[in-house]
Amino acid sequence: RLTLVEKPQEADGIDSVVVVDNVPQVGPERLEKLKNVIHKIFSKFGKINTEFYPEADGLTKGYIFLEYGGPSQALEAVKNADGYKLDKQHTFRVNLFTDFDKYMNISDEWETPEKQPFKDFGNMRHWIEDTDCRDQYSVIYEAGERTAIYDNDAKEPIVSEERARWTETYVRWSPKGTYLATFHQRGIALWGGEKFKQIQRFSHQGVSLIDFSPCERYVVTFSPLMDTKEDPQAIIIWDILTGHKKRGFHCESSAHWPIFKWSHDGKFFARMTLDTLSIYEAPSMGLLDKKSLKISGIKDFSWSPGDNIIAFWVPEDKDIPARVTLMQMPTRQEIRVRNLFNVVDCKLHWQRNGDYLCVKVDRTPKGTQGVVTNFEIFRMREKQVPVDVVEMKEGIIAFAWEPNGSKFAVLHGESPRINVSFYHVKNNGKIELTKTFDKQQANSIFWSPQGQFLVLAGLRSMNGALAFVDTSDCTLMNIAEHYMASDVEWDPTGRYLVTSVSWWSHKVDNAYWLWTFQGRLLQKNNKDRFCQLLWRPRPPTLLNIEDIKTIKKDLKKYSKIFEQKDRLSQSKASKELVDKRRSMMDDYRSYRETAQQTYLEQKSLRLELRGGVDSDELDSNVEDWEEETIEFFINEEIIPLGDL
Amino acid sequence: MKPNITCLSCCSPDRSITQIKYNREGDLLFSVAKDTVTNVWYSVNGERLGTYNGHTGAVWCVDCDWDTKNVLTGSADNSCRLWDCQTGKQLALLDTNSAVRTCGFDFSGNIIMFSTDKQMGYQCFLNFFDLRDPQQIDNQPYLSIPCSDHKITSAVWGPLGEYVIAGHENGEFNQFSAKSGEIVKKAKEHTKQINDIQSSVDLTMIISASKDNTAKLFDSASLEHIKTFKTERPVNSAAISPNMDHVVMGGGQEAMEVTTTSTRIGKFEAR
Repeated sequence: RLTLVEKPQEADGIDSVVVVDNVPQVGPERLEKLKNVIHKIFSKFGKINTEFYPEADGLTKGYIFLEYGGPSQALEAVKNADGYKLDKQHTFRVNLFTDFDKYMNISDEWETPEKQPFKDFGNMRHWIEDTDCRDQYSVIYEAGERTAIYDNDAKEPIVSEERARWTETYVRWSPKGTYLATFHQRGIALWGGEKFKQIQRFSHQGVSLIDFSPCERYVVTFSPLMDTKEDPQAIIIWDILTGHKKRGFHCESSAHWPIFKWSHDGKFFARMTLDTLSIYEAPSMGLLDKKSLKISGIKDFSWSPGDNIIAFWVPEDKDIPARVTLMQMPTRQEIRVRNLFNVVDCKLHWQRNGDYLCVKVDRTPKGTQGVVTNFEIFRMREKQVPVDVVEMKEGIIAFAWEPNGSKFAVLHGESPRINVSFYHVKNNGKIELTKTFDKQQANSIFWSPQGQFLVLAGLRSMNGALAFVDTSDCTLMNIAEHYMASDVEWDPTGRYLVTSVSWWSHKVDNAYWLWTFQGRLLQKNNKDRFCQLLWRPRPPTLLNIEDIKTIKKDLKKYSKIFEQKDRLSQSKASKELVDKRRSMMDDYRSYRETAQQTYLEQKSLRLELRGGVDSDELDSNVEDWEEETIEFFINEEIIPLGDL
Repeated sequence: MKPNITCLSCCSPDRSITQIKYNREGDLLFSVAKDTVTNVWYSVNGERLGTYNGHTGAVWCVDCDWDTKNVLTGSADNSCRLWDCQTGKQLALLDTNSAVRTCGFDFSGNIIMFSTDKQMGYQCFLNFFDLRDPQQIDNQPYLSIPCSDHKITSAVWGPLGEYVIAGHENGEFNQFSAKSGEIVKKAKEHTKQINDIQSSVDLTMIISASKDNTAKLFDSASLEHIKTFKTERPVNSAAISPNMDHVVMGGGQEAMEVTTTSTRIGKFEAR
């Protein structure tokens, strides 16, 4: 009988033994079945010569010993079966028997591990504690030479941090705003805390693209440089807190980035390759159920931003129509399938909370040549996910959901006749067209992250036309322009909007302008070769729905306090400005007085230089003046004199 | 009563005007252009009074002495010429080795200065002549200062003829003594070429227009920087109003640098 405490006498054969832990504890009636299951799984790695199932009190103990023909087979078993999920309660742990030996012989002498200095990065959420609730944004300018972080104050930006060559190309914020990622030839760096210290570094030569998991636990980096067959290096997933490389992947196709799409809770990430959808789990980084999904013809997929549901579509295949499928993860249950006919293309648009999915379907109806577009609206929160169809009569330029509501906006038509339409998905099963504005100069829609307000922008080739809309009553609040604007960015609270002209798309007039959500221009910030502005995201609110309701109810009370504070700071600012200007004027006047003084003292020198002629004033020399009469041509009139 | 602003348009020559100057009393306006012709006009009605003919290349600069007796011009034909204002007769021809970029009479009208470009192997020089000395008028300047590093792009006299303030193509200022040729003062406030320098009416201040998108106000004697005026485009010229309450600046994108035809992008406007 083998026990863990006694060291076995035979020297050989020991290396071929594995210990499997977390085996179900069964009674004699199920033991045969258990042994069959174990055999089935473990004989894959080699011939099992001996097996031993220790028992106690009528049940197996929960761990077993298996002896293989040779040590390499035992190693295979450890490599492949360790972590094997038999069922929900039992995940095998497989170890070499000889490893136990190693661990049993650990010295009884306790050696204190060397103390690593504590890296205190300070309060990682420091910026949220600003008493004036200013949001931060990053600015890259001087063609990339300088990066600065500003606090957004309506009067003027306040510099929080500014560094030369902080990044080599551009920057990215993590989804909750905790980290700022910078790019370098050797890899990326993450910065954060009050002083923007370097939190972590990830080495990935030639990195060009990154993506964060929504929970900020992982960061995915991509480098187009060569990766070897044995060691996939094109895409690497890193654990942010430990800095460890979790897994590397090849990158077969040059698809759109991010190639791995994360579920909203960071539990899963998936990617699509030819006819295949591969879904992986975090933190194990292994394939869900150890296999990818074979979906012939899959064209596109995306996760619901609110639930672990994947939507994907496949085009028509012979007599099987095209279809959109909604699949629950991890169960892989198909919640909804929608058949579509004569499909040319589909695009998936999720509402930000996952309440609705819009599938934009381009079809060529039978017997016609042209392409028409439908919007298939999936109501995710209703039983059996009913689908409503909105038919569009014109080509679609842009589509956007209200982030936290049930409205969407569509830009349709063809330049110069572009229209914007606002729709409301109502609870009674109808989708109402609320309003259409025609003759718009726009190619993009930007909703406020808090909903209700949006900006229609004509970026780049449309010269920066802007229209600010309140969708609660579909009114145009303001029409404005930021000539040659290339980007529009809302702040996370929806109070402010930034339009900018990036040096990357236009070489002059590089600047960013700050507007209120209603379209009132607050600031014009010219920056030498300005490139990019990104608002720092906010972490999700800690308040629950009840708290928010209470605050909204008491808003009048808070408004009074804020208004008072604003007025105080306004007058302080005005006073500061007035004082500054006054002192500048005083400085100039006293300079002029001194200059005047010197000028008067030099009068004799001037007289000397001009032979005694006083030329200080134009009328210093009236005697020399001549009177001249000059004729001006005023008008010519031809008067017929009649017959003479 | 509403102020009467009459816009007079003088018949312009075929090629672009390079500089204009009023005489001290303001009744005459001198203009020089790339077409080699120097014109003088009546300010009050825009009528052309006459021309000064002789240059064979583009004329870059012009100046008139305080008494409106003499006119000075500098040209790409490698000469600086002195004219009798009333008769139009050429009084002196001063040959140079390279184009004359900037020229001017001092406060007394007796001393002239001009600078030449760095061209064809020749350095930039700042030359001084005393017009009362006939020997000098025969092309022997009493002082010739070489500028080896950055050529002079614009220059004006100080208030009493003691020094010349020169602006260089790298944005720096040098105050050259008109007696010894030494650099009396230096200043570096601009980051790019100085396109033009003009004085206030009492010569105590100067304003410089630069390619670095700013115009700057300085005290002439100390070269102390007083103010900066920022725009979004290179400034070609700037002037101080005689009341000294305002400055005017003009500029825009160099025509050959314009890649779009939109006037808005070039911002061709005076401010």
